[in-house]
Amino acid sequence: MISQIRRMAVTAATTYLALTAFGVSAQPVKVGIVGPFSGPYSHYGSLFKNGAEAYIASQGGKLAGKEIELIYRDTGGPNPGQTKTLVQELIVKDKVDYLGGFVFTPNALAVAPLIQQSKTPTVIFNAATSAITDKSEFFLRTSYTLWQVTVPIAQWAAKNNIKKVVTAVTDYGPGIDAETAWKSEFTKQGGTTVESIRMPIATTDFAPFVQRIKASGAQAVYTFLPGGPPNLGFVKAYNENGLAKSGIQFLGTAETDEFDLQKFGDAALGLTTAFHYSAAHDSPENRTFIEALKKRDPNAIANYASVGAWDGMYVIHKMIEATGGQKDGQKALTAGRELQWESPRGPVRIDPKTRHIVQNVYLRNVERVGGVLVNKEVQSFGPQTDYGLDK
Amino acid sequence: MQLLANVLIDGLAYGMVLFIIAVGLSVTLGLMRFVNLAHGAFAMIGGYVAALLTREAQWSFWIALPVAIAATAATGALLEAFVLRHLYRRTELEQVLFTIGLSFFLIAGTNALAGPQVQLIVLPPLLAQSVDLGFRTLPAQRLFVIGTGLIVAAVAAWTVTRTRFGVWLRAAVDHPDTAATLGIPIRTVQCASFAAGAALAGLGGVLGAELMPLEPYYALKYLVLVLVVVAVGGMGSLPGSLLAAVTLGIVETASKYLASDWGSLFFFLAMAVLLAWRPNGLLQR
Amino acid sequence: MILLVIGLLAWWALPDQLGLVTRIAITALFVLSLDLVVGIAGLATLGHAALFGVGAYAAGIFALHLHVDPLLGLMVAIAAGSLLALASGAFLLRYHGFTFLMLTVAVAQIVASLAQKARDWTGGDDGLSGFTMGPLLGLFEFDLEGKTAALYALVVLAAGLYVSRRVVDSPFGLAVRGIHENRARMAALGTPVVRRLLAMYTLAGALAGAAGGLSAQTNAIVGLDSLSFALSAEALVMLILGGAGRLHGALIGTVVFTLLHHTAASINPYHWLFIIGAALMAVVLLPPQKAWAWLRSRRGAKA
Repeated sequence: MISQIRRMAVTAATTYLALTAFGVSAQPVKVGIVGPFSGPYSHYGSLFKNGAEAYIASQGGKLAGKEIELIYRDTGGPNPGQTKTLVQELIVKDKVDYLGGFVFTPNALAVAPLIQQSKTPTVIFNAATSAITDKSEFFLRTSYTLWQVTVPIAQWAAKNNIKKVVTAVTDYGPGIDAETAWKSEFTKQGGTTVESIRMPIATTDFAPFVQRIKASGAQAVYTFLPGGPPNLGFVKAYNENGLAKSGIQFLGTAETDEFDLQKFGDAALGLTTAFHYSAAHDSPENRTFIEALKKRDPNAIANYASVGAWDGMYVIHKMIEATGGQKDGQKALTAGRELQWESPRGPVRIDPKTRHIVQNVYLRNVERVGGVLVNKEVQSFGPQTDYGLDK
Repeated sequence: MQLLANVLIDGLAYGMVLFIIAVGLSVTLGLMRFVNLAHGAFAMIGGYVAALLTREAQWSFWIALPVAIAATAATGALLEAFVLRHLYRRTELEQVLFTIGLSFFLIAGTNALAGPQVQLIVLPPLLAQSVDLGFRTLPAQRLFVIGTGLIVAAVAAWTVTRTRFGVWLRAAVDHPDTAATLGIPIRTVQCASFAAGAALAGLGGVLGAELMPLEPYYALKYLVLVLVVVAVGGMGSLPGSLLAAVTLGIVETASKYLASDWGSLFFFLAMAVLLAWRPNGLLQR
Repeated sequence: MILLVIGLLAWWALPDQLGLVTRIAITALFVLSLDLVVGIAGLATLGHAALFGVGAYAAGIFALHLHVDPLLGLMVAIAAGSLLALASGAFLLRYHGFTFLMLTVAVAQIVASLAQKARDWTGGDDGLSGFTMGPLLGLFEFDLEGKTAALYALVVLAAGLYVSRRVVDSPFGLAVRGIHENRARMAALGTPVVRRLLAMYTLAGALAGAAGGLSAQTNAIVGLDSLSFALSAEALVMLILGGAGRLHGALIGTVVFTLLHHTAASINPYHWLFIIGAALMAVVLLPPQKAWAWLRSRRGAKA
């Protein structure tokens, strides 16, 4: 009896020593988070940080029993050269196991050869151009693509007797995706896109474009702009120049983002958008998410960028679980592609072929609930895939 | 016809904002030959003070505006008196380096104090409403900008041509050494002009907040536009700056209406043509 | 020669950060080309990025559509930079001072707008990508750690420095420096002022184009940021920091600024601008030369 206990004790001690000698439990899993932390888009950096760290905290500070080390690197704006250097350093010097983040398409494209060669699974928290995941099999995405959110709203518009629409998008990858997706689906549904306006990415004064929209004779305007100052400027111009009054309906996607939503005031009431995440989504997972965010920082905002980071960390969590914390890119990737779970946004899964997230897209209207402006989900379009890659 | 009216109105508003901000830089460059690349920061400071006062402290816009202008003027005066005046004798490149460093510092400071989001100035109902001119609806704020620009131009012109200070200013710009020997208090003129320029930049920052959103990088982002107006208008020439600002503002707006996917090409093309034709400023020979 | 030694040391001692070494080498070459224009010829310009950018896009388009050999691409980049410099210089060099400065801004912005418009060729805001460089000299593949890229960039930088040094010390270089100091006198002496300046500007364009080409090849992507005003301004800041007119000042300035940025950004991605801003102001208020002299006098006093 005593010898049995002694044997167990010896086995336990030896196992423990063996494990610590190899540093299995002591070695943290390193995740590099790449995004803008300075400059006009630096709010994305904070949103990523809040979402990612809140997720880890909600899991008790460790993922799959492993310590996590998050290494943040600032890309500034769209700066592919600098991003490549930073990621190269993260992979070669810091030896990260996973990468996350990425707001701008050129930055994501620049690192494709690096992650492919080093087999580093990379989860995109935001960049929304469909073609990115094609560039390397190690890209996974937990954000959205323009095709994914545009197709349903084009179908909805056609069904609701809107026949003539003008598109106004920012002239860059995701914007052009949005325009192409809209034109393709809307025409399929029998509608006409009377004019396609492209706005330079550096635009701050949207009045001229809004005037052109007015002059186009359309019943509605479908728009896409990157989050931050351009969003704010466009929606304000829409209101101040009397577009709503002249009966041109606003159809958007990310423009009523929670980050700036309160700034619009009553002018935003009634704006219609189709998107994959609303902070007002009524589910226990969403409540957990928002609580975890507020615990870290009472001013933290729950929006598509922070939920992109939250779900991104979930994917990384599962990949760590599947590989036992060891660095094995191929194994992690195989596990990552099969994932299916209930995210704060609704039920989601990763499409094994495109490695992009398949999720519900909702139709929302901006309403005032409890004194605060929210994106109220009016209808769910059901799970949508990335139509841009399904061709 | 509608299009022409739109271009003129929006272009004029945009041009006025550029003019108000550029006036100070033009005078500083012409008067002190001091390359102040931190000028954009003054516009930013003015805008931020107004934004914080109207939003956080809930002051009325009509009180916040003069306070913001005064605050920027004070900042400019202090900066000039204690730091910048020592750099007047340094080379242009050193002035560039210092003022860029100062801009970086101010950008970082703004970011640390107020965060990276765009700051909105709460407009009073008078300005926030939309005015229906019959052929077009536009925010009242834009008409306010155009009006203010014209007033600033008028006041500046009157100051320069009819007051004693104006005489001192013109003398100091044209012949600094002679002016000094004649007993004109050059230091006072320099400090006062610098402060006035900063104040106007602050005003421009507040007025232009709709067109040029206030965020920490504002200080450097719009600097190029202001430099362009000063160059085309001619250093030290107020009417030149006005003409340049309005012309370029209209060109930029027209290109947004007619050829938006060409970006700012026409703005810079127009600028290059005007500058090549009149290298010393639009109204100078 | 010292440069090559230092470069090789860095390459050997920092195998994990060769990406950074490559970036510094490329930027140094760019700032060196700027020194030829600003420091030697005395023409302050804020549009130098245009020359870098056309080199980068030329090399990228060449690799994407024609041939992936790096050295051929480099030649194309050099040609592109020189051509743009020659063409724009012929127009720009008729003006002086502030007018010249603003016109360089205009030219650069016009080039940038055209690049953005020509999405089919340049990829617009998404950048030009999708090409993989062939092995250097047919032997050295561009590897993940960046060993080949770093050596390639360092060698081209050394070559550029050598060429610049020879040119600056030659009679032609002296003539240009003379024009910088006193244009009227040189003209009175019969020097074809504009032609000399144009030649120097074109050489600078060649080097800037080379730097751009290197950037395109080592990163396998070219973004619109390579034509931006911010790049021109940053290069000017680096040059002034290191000291304009002496060629090695360009290298010192680049190394100091880039390392400062890199370190400050990794310590605190939000607030690194504070450190850079303060450093720049400090350098002007207390110039390094005076600081060294002061230190030396202190040491002398103690002894």
